[in-house]
Amino acid sequence: MVVITVIFVIGAYLGYVAGSEMEGTDAMVEDTAASTANAEATSLAPAITDVVGEPIGFTIAGIVAGFIVGYFWTELFRRRENV
Amino acid sequence: MHISDGILAPEWCLLWFAVAIPFIAVGVWQIKRGTKENASYLPMLAMMGAAVFIISVWHIPVPVTGSCSHPIGTPLSAIIVGPFATVVLSTIALFFQTFFGHGGLTTLGANTMSMGILGTFSGYLLFLGLRKVKSPLWLAAGFAGFAGDIACYIVAALELALSLNPGSVLSHWALYTVGYIPTQLPLAVAEFVFTAGVVQYIADRRPDLVAKKLWGGVPSA
Repeated sequence: MVVITVIFVIGAYLGYVAGSEMEGTDAMVEDTAASTANAEATSLAPAITDVVGEPIGFTIAGIVAGFIVGYFWTELFRRRENV
Repeated sequence: MHISDGILAPEWCLLWFAVAIPFIAVGVWQIKRGTKENASYLPMLAMMGAAVFIISVWHIPVPVTGSCSHPIGTPLSAIIVGPFATVVLSTIALFFQTFFGHGGLTTLGANTMSMGILGTFSGYLLFLGLRKVKSPLWLAAGFAGFAGDIACYIVAALELALSLNPGSVLSHWALYTVGYIPTQLPLAVAEFVFTAGVVQYIADRRPDLVAKKLWGGVPSA
């Protein structure tokens, strides 16, 4: 988890330093592909990706994941001397 | 590799669902069996599910290319909880990610195919192969992460080409792969690092967690 977090932080910092628009490649490639066949991306699921919705969604996901990880962390990763 | 609704033709959406469902069924069976035989399997599944969800939705900027993308996390999960269970976890993660504007409901089968199945099994099989030739655990895990990440995007490119460009699949497959790879390569290296680090960390502290034959793992010693 520490390693993952460090990678995310370094990536975010590099992005900040570079100051680019940093569009996602998923969307870029998908747009290119769609344009070759006149397809258009839609969304059947109600997306919560606006300025308010995304932070709230990620916060809820983080809290739930945090409870799961926090609750089981000690039991799972306590070093067993006699293993 | 999160393909949105409306991009793939309906017949391809159905085909990818049909391919994914047997893997999911085996995964559910594996989870049922695993939770019966080992009490720590369920919490580990929950943790890996949370990890796969976050890792595969969080876009990381790659300044060299001026774009961003995300690792996938499924090779790591496959080594810890087994490949078929990881297919189930990634399907659940991909379902919830649609609400964050990543992927789609009709393309859930296709996205499961690229991230959950090919991303998982390519990395996991490489891990098994490298362990068979006595590769260190961290190295085998790292290469699993790298290979799974790249394979996922190659398959996503193929899915796009098959559905959208049936007359010129190979050339468009190459085109879309080239679109993904420059951004994905640095992230695959990052996936190498954290998969190697996490698996080695867990193996040092709880070697029993990555050694269960039931989950398809191999001894970590």
